[in-house]
Amino acid sequence: MYDVVVVGQGLSGLLSAIWAGEQGKKVALVSKGTGKLLQSTGFMDFYGKKPATEMTKEAVDKFKQLMTKLNLPYLGDFGSKVSVVTGSGYLKETILYPETVVPVPDSGRVLVVGFTEIADFQPAFVKGNLERERPELVVDTLTVSLEQKSLRTMTQLDAARLLDKKENRAKVLKQIKAQMQKRNLGQPELYIFPASLGIENWRTVLQEFSVELGAPVTEAPGMPPNAPAVRLFESLRKAAIRMGTRFYSDTEVIGSHVEENLVRSLKIQTSNHTTEIIGRTYIIAAGGVLGGGHVMTAQGLKDTVLGLETDAYGQYSVCPENVLLVGASRGTKELHCGITGGVSAIQSSYESVLSLTK
Amino acid sequence: MHNTLYPKPSFDQCIKCNACVIDCPVSNVSLDFGGPKHLGPELKRLIENNEYIDDSRIDLCTLCGNCDLSCPENVQVSTLLAFSKEAHAEIAGTKFRDFVLANAETVGKLASVFAPITNLALKMKPVRKIMEGVMGLDSERLFPSYRFKNFNRIYKKKTANTKRKVAYYAGCYATYNAPEIAEAFVKVMEYNGIEVAKPDQKCCGIPMFANGQMKQGKKNAEYNINSFLEYTRQGYDVVVTCTSCTLALKKEYIMYLQSEGAHELARHVYDADEYLRMLHAEGELNTNFAEMNVKAGYYAPCHMKSQGIGNPAMDILSLIPGYEITDVAAGCCGQCGTYGFKKEKQDISLSIGKSMAEAVEEVNADYTVTECGMCKNALDQLTSKKTIHPMIVLAEAYEKAEKRS
Ligand SMILES: Cc1cc2nc3c(=O)[nH]c(=O)nc-3n(C[C@H](O)[C@H](O)[C@H](O)COP(=O)(O)OP(=O)(O)OC[C@H]3O[C@@H](n4cnc5c(N)ncnc54)[C@H](O)[C@@H]3O)c2cc1C
Repeated sequence: MYDVVVVGQGLSGLLSAIWAGEQGKKVALVSKGTGKLLQSTGFMDFYGKKPATEMTKEAVDKFKQLMTKLNLPYLGDFGSKVSVVTGSGYLKETILYPETVVPVPDSGRVLVVGFTEIADFQPAFVKGNLERERPELVVDTLTVSLEQKSLRTMTQLDAARLLDKKENRAKVLKQIKAQMQKRNLGQPELYIFPASLGIENWRTVLQEFSVELGAPVTEAPGMPPNAPAVRLFESLRKAAIRMGTRFYSDTEVIGSHVEENLVRSLKIQTSNHTTEIIGRTYIIAAGGVLGGGHVMTAQGLKDTVLGLETDAYGQYSVCPENVLLVGASRGTKELHCGITGGVSAIQSSYESVLSLTK
Repeated sequence: MHNTLYPKPSFDQCIKCNACVIDCPVSNVSLDFGGPKHLGPELKRLIENNEYIDDSRIDLCTLCGNCDLSCPENVQVSTLLAFSKEAHAEIAGTKFRDFVLANAETVGKLASVFAPITNLALKMKPVRKIMEGVMGLDSERLFPSYRFKNFNRIYKKKTANTKRKVAYYAGCYATYNAPEIAEAFVKVMEYNGIEVAKPDQKCCGIPMFANGQMKQGKKNAEYNINSFLEYTRQGYDVVVTCTSCTLALKKEYIMYLQSEGAHELARHVYDADEYLRMLHAEGELNTNFAEMNVKAGYYAPCHMKSQGIGNPAMDILSLIPGYEITDVAAGCCGQCGTYGFKKEKQDISLSIGKSMAEAVEEVNADYTVTECGMCKNALDQLTSKKTIHPMIVLAEAYEKAEKRS
């Protein structure tokens, strides 16, 4: 018997589990797989239909506190959007971003550095689009090699893990400096890298690169896996486990037992059997259509988790009293196309957990 | 040419999101491995209705199953990988060493007969060097020791006569290397008024599947299924103390055999702590534990996480007064059954183990609790802490309480 059973291991589910755990609740987290966090940039965007409120600010502050405690601080403020560059060179507006990221300046000089091995990040392509987005910016490019033999197509994550090691950083820095000198490139105000500035040792990577290169460095997220997303996922998961959250992984919720408008148990399925899990409160963070909590039908959205009737927008016709909905599980009335976005995930998780105390 | 008849879970749902790659312990430390996505669903998509492509990179997969846990689309990645391993072993052949490692049970039987000699030899540097040279076994890796008084010699009970009846699947490790785990389990059950029968059983097959010896593994699976179904049909519950064996009985047999029998058996299988937790939920657990002032760390084996059972070892141990236990939140140990004994995999195996060791030291508990004998092998070698099976702790807590009263 748990105090809280969370369904979903995305950003919403992990935050709900951690915050419920902070209140001393006994928490179980049931999920059939990881959430969309791993395919995201790791930046917290705002896609909500309703404008931000005081609650948004409170939740965002709470998130920033948590991330500072987990040694992965986030910058940015709920009231203001900033423009960051992506791996295609286009700009994207976001609210919160990790310390490995610096917003793009309006003018001045930047240098885009690619890795030969990472096909998804092409400096020339980044330059073309970035110059269109920021006409007053001077954009230089160069490409260096990670100097690794690989038997598979390398990703940004592979590059990030390589840069965790000092010898690989040294090789990369040496090539950058040599090329800049040879091509007589002017000193930029910002270096733009793929989203791969280390995983465990991101602080060292950041520190070493900016000192050695004489200017701040930033990560431009593109094709997943993006290092900031992986760092965020791994640190949230670790925090939840250390706090005692019981993970029921590779486990699908396939219905519920409801009595007197209260969920008494969830029906869960694992490889060997179908059984039940019991909680006092249930937090549904199943990600809507994208996360698997809803399916699209000709009649509109249908819920796959509790097996209860919903309206066409995915909202439960009668929501059981001990069920809290977070993220896209709230349906498409509240979120554009049912896409949650980091800020709404943070806010709805925070609101739900707050209501546990009442 | 090859058996490309994969079980139902198909590659169709794979959207190439890379979640499995992010969570793959081997991909994370080596660029030589193709990765679960490429060698699982993608390879399968490529060869469906086409000529088989053999990819030797599959050899680096440990079958830890983390890919299945991370996949948001419910693709049974590890099953696809296991079949790639089978096909590769058939095409490329099997090293004598891998054949020996796959047959852990035969090795256990022989080694325990000559236990004092084997153990001594396994600890001697010159012998280990020869094993490395001749067999490709890593001379730096410590091997678990063997017991002459193995569990088969000690325990022969074939039936149980209590209300709840347990059919115990002991597995090779608790039979040949650490019979004290099996004995502790029987004791814990006794304290709960439950008799334990030990049906005829063979190695669960996990080391065979991992070494591409699918045919042999399936044979063992059939044997175990038939042997244990005779018990479950008489009302016995099947309880297991090794998390890899448990996963074989709960999941691998279903995935690889796709048989009615595998499904029927799986429904009756419990991890030992999961079983105790169920007794507790039904108000049947004897909770007369002595107080133990311990701050323990828990290391979750990958094959425990794969079962979707939360964390029953911690749930049960937390019932002991004064017993504090924290999950160290570590990933794979890198030993991965027989994988860590192989010389050419030494770098990968030890790099994977490094972050596990860091997590254990970070929590800095009195000792580490874990169910898996092979994880214990890695923990013993890579951390400064002692490693204990939860059944040993529980048996001690019951015994102390009994002496006290
Ligand atoms: C490709 C992609 C990129 C994105 N990038 C960004 C970005 O850069 N910035 C941003 O702010 N937002 C981004 N988003 C939006 C994203 O929706 C949210 O930011 C956020 O990650 C959603 O989190 P969530 O926890 O609510 O849902 P999800 O991450 O979708 O998690 C849903 C969880 O529920 C589980 N689940 C579902 N049904 C069941 C069931 N029946 N039983 C058990 N478990 C179940 C799933 O396994 C999963 O763990 C992106 C979305 C996508 C798809």
